[in-house]
Amino acid sequence: MATDNTQPGQDAAIVFEPKQSRSAPVASVGVIGWLRENLFYSWFSTIVTVVVAWGMFEGAAYLYDWGVTKAVFEAESRRQCLNTSPDGACWAGIIDWMNGFMYGRYPDEEQWRINLGGVLLIAWVLPFWLPNLKGKIGIGMSAVMVYPFLAAYLFLGGERGVFLNLMVFLAITLLVLNWVHVVLFYLTGRTLTENLVRMTGFEHRPETTHKYPMLALVAVVWGCVYAWLGDWQLELVRTNLWGGLFLTIVIAGVAIVSALPGGVALALARRSTMPVIRVFAITFIELFRSVPLITVLFMAVTMMPLFLPEDFQLNKLVQVMIGVCLFAAAYMAEVVRGGLQAIPNGQYEAAKAMGLSYWKMMNLVILPQALKLMIPNIVGNFMGLLKDTTLVSIIGLYDMLNMLKAVGQNPIWIGLHKEPLVFGAAIYFVLCFAMSKYSQRLERTIGQGNTGR
Amino acid sequence: MSATDTVPMAPEGQIASAITDEEVIRLINVNKWYGEFHVLKDVNLSVRRGERIVICGPSGSGKSTLIRCINRLEQHQEGEIIVNGTTLDSNVKNIEAIRSDVGMVFQSFNLFPHLTVLENCTLAPMWVRKRPLDEAADVAMKYLERVRIPEQAHKYPGQLSGGQQQRVAIARSLCMNPNIMLFDEPTSALDPEMISEVLDVMVELAASGMTMLVVTHEMAFARKVADRVIFMDQGEIVEENAPDEFFANPRVDRSRLFLSQILAH
Ligand SMILES: Nc1ncnc2c1ncn2[C@@H]1O[C@H](COP(=O)(O)OP(=O)(O)OP(=O)(O)O)[C@@H](O)[C@H]1O
Ligand SMILES: [Mg+2]
Repeated sequence: MATDNTQPGQDAAIVFEPKQSRSAPVASVGVIGWLRENLFYSWFSTIVTVVVAWGMFEGAAYLYDWGVTKAVFEAESRRQCLNTSPDGACWAGIIDWMNGFMYGRYPDEEQWRINLGGVLLIAWVLPFWLPNLKGKIGIGMSAVMVYPFLAAYLFLGGERGVFLNLMVFLAITLLVLNWVHVVLFYLTGRTLTENLVRMTGFEHRPETTHKYPMLALVAVVWGCVYAWLGDWQLELVRTNLWGGLFLTIVIAGVAIVSALPGGVALALARRSTMPVIRVFAITFIELFRSVPLITVLFMAVTMMPLFLPEDFQLNKLVQVMIGVCLFAAAYMAEVVRGGLQAIPNGQYEAAKAMGLSYWKMMNLVILPQALKLMIPNIVGNFMGLLKDTTLVSIIGLYDMLNMLKAVGQNPIWIGLHKEPLVFGAAIYFVLCFAMSKYSQRLERTIGQGNTGR
Repeated sequence: MSATDTVPMAPEGQIASAITDEEVIRLINVNKWYGEFHVLKDVNLSVRRGERIVICGPSGSGKSTLIRCINRLEQHQEGEIIVNGTTLDSNVKNIEAIRSDVGMVFQSFNLFPHLTVLENCTLAPMWVRKRPLDEAADVAMKYLERVRIPEQAHKYPGQLSGGQQQRVAIARSLCMNPNIMLFDEPTSALDPEMISEVLDVMVELAASGMTMLVVTHEMAFARKVADRVIFMDQGEIVEENAPDEFFANPRVDRSRLFLSQILAH
């Protein structure tokens, strides 16, 4: 524009001509540029770089030597390992004890139940990753509310009470229906409920009656499952036999699943305007946060039975789980509260001004935004929980850490301490790293609309 | 509900008003304190259906507090507030019912950033009024068209300009089909070139007969749509007057000073 603005009779304006862009100097781009800028920008940084690189190389070389080149993979005992290669790792012991690391002292012939529990869990949550699927909330709810009963029975076995009977068959029913829903959805583009409503001719009835065909279907499938599996029973495996990674994941899983709802409830209670609720929440949170987890665990195991009636004795694992859950909820509460505080007041006001009730405001407007902000902290908390469960080894549960330590006391593998711990570290690293990566992905995919507020 | 002949002759350039006799808001001797600070002092006000009221006054005079008391975003301590025939007290159900019939537009838009424009507009109709999704979406599109941004329906608020966001906020309120709209300085967070697009929407809304209470410093808007101008200072209603009277010939010296200050530049 500026160049055309000269009008006749006026002095010609100075014409602006932009300079041509030149390409950047070679030394500042590409690999060489990056190296120069970050690693070798002064003689001091050059020395640091060289020393650190040399240290890292030596360390890696030593580890490779110890763990791969000189390692022994097949041996009968530690003695044999040492005879074969005195300064290599003795992985033979790890391989020999692998079953113990994974399942503890769970009987060999019953271990398929644990594997089945894992497979069912995967089958349950798999639909979450399917694109464009409707009704994921229902699937998620059933996974959190019903699957644990099925898993608990699979792992524990024994007699089923009336309630457990109901829940186990309900779980199987819902798992089947979840997949029927998924298949139908991709075939017809409609949810299971919508299909049912059409098939039964309920579509012309009022909307409130639309749930009846679905309920009827659940009842029918439940009946079929019951008729088919009604007298099926698994052998009882007492919880003192549970152990290894399996036990670690069960404790951490229960804590993780209960921490979020518990934490949200406590955080909301702490922000409540009702003094009784607020004081209770503050007391609970501060109490549990100021006590180390190991103390909570000891309290749970030694003190809790004192408060319970004589004939109602819980086993150690349940006591530990209750302790860990309360502890986790207290920590999570503060994470959630931090997230809630980051939501501007205007969001609360806008939601209220539309006539939303407190719970709708929280569920539809505040928590979805707050949870997204909290993902890094929540996942950090989960990782902490997973690692903290190693503390249950101190009160005599055979979680993975305890199994790892037990190898070195075994007469055949006596003195084998380093390798199990390296192996355990690798397992924990894989689990935590996976969580961390997944959380980063969640952050990117959830609520992509939150650009700029 | 009878339309009456109390409607004053519309002055030049003003939008004809559709005031009825029915009283939708009434404030009787309302007093409010923030701690020791007396924000509202013996405020009395009566608003009839279809009336458009502009509230102005210096910063900190309690304008926002006053209109926020009407949908109980703030709680008053003394006096009585009656909205649509219901007295505001601690009854939560009543408050929610009133809020669903009283739309509010904020200075800072307050759209929900995790929802698309359309979802922002359908949220309350679906969850408060229990409308099915498709019906709520139809209504939402109708109002988005009315505020002239139907093409933005599937964007997120963060992707819109300030003026567009405020128009979405207006549409979002209208989707609840309110009978009263409250505006708290709807244009003061906007760049000058966006102010008019929002004001145009508000003028149209006024022309449709909506009952409106607008806190604003846009005096041209007040002149054009207001049936009554209320001037507040230090928590009191200092002057209530017809807009042409108020601007040409304010009765109270305080209003005169205020007008001379804001019209000086
Ligand atoms: N939550 C609060 N706590 C304490 N004091 C408050 C609070 N909100 C507002 N006030 C005070 O009450 C007075 C009136 O505030 P209000 O927001 O109603 O003024 P206003 O007329 O809307 O001003 P503005 O034009 O700046 O928006 C101000 O002095 C303000 O400092
Ligand atoms: Mg204000």
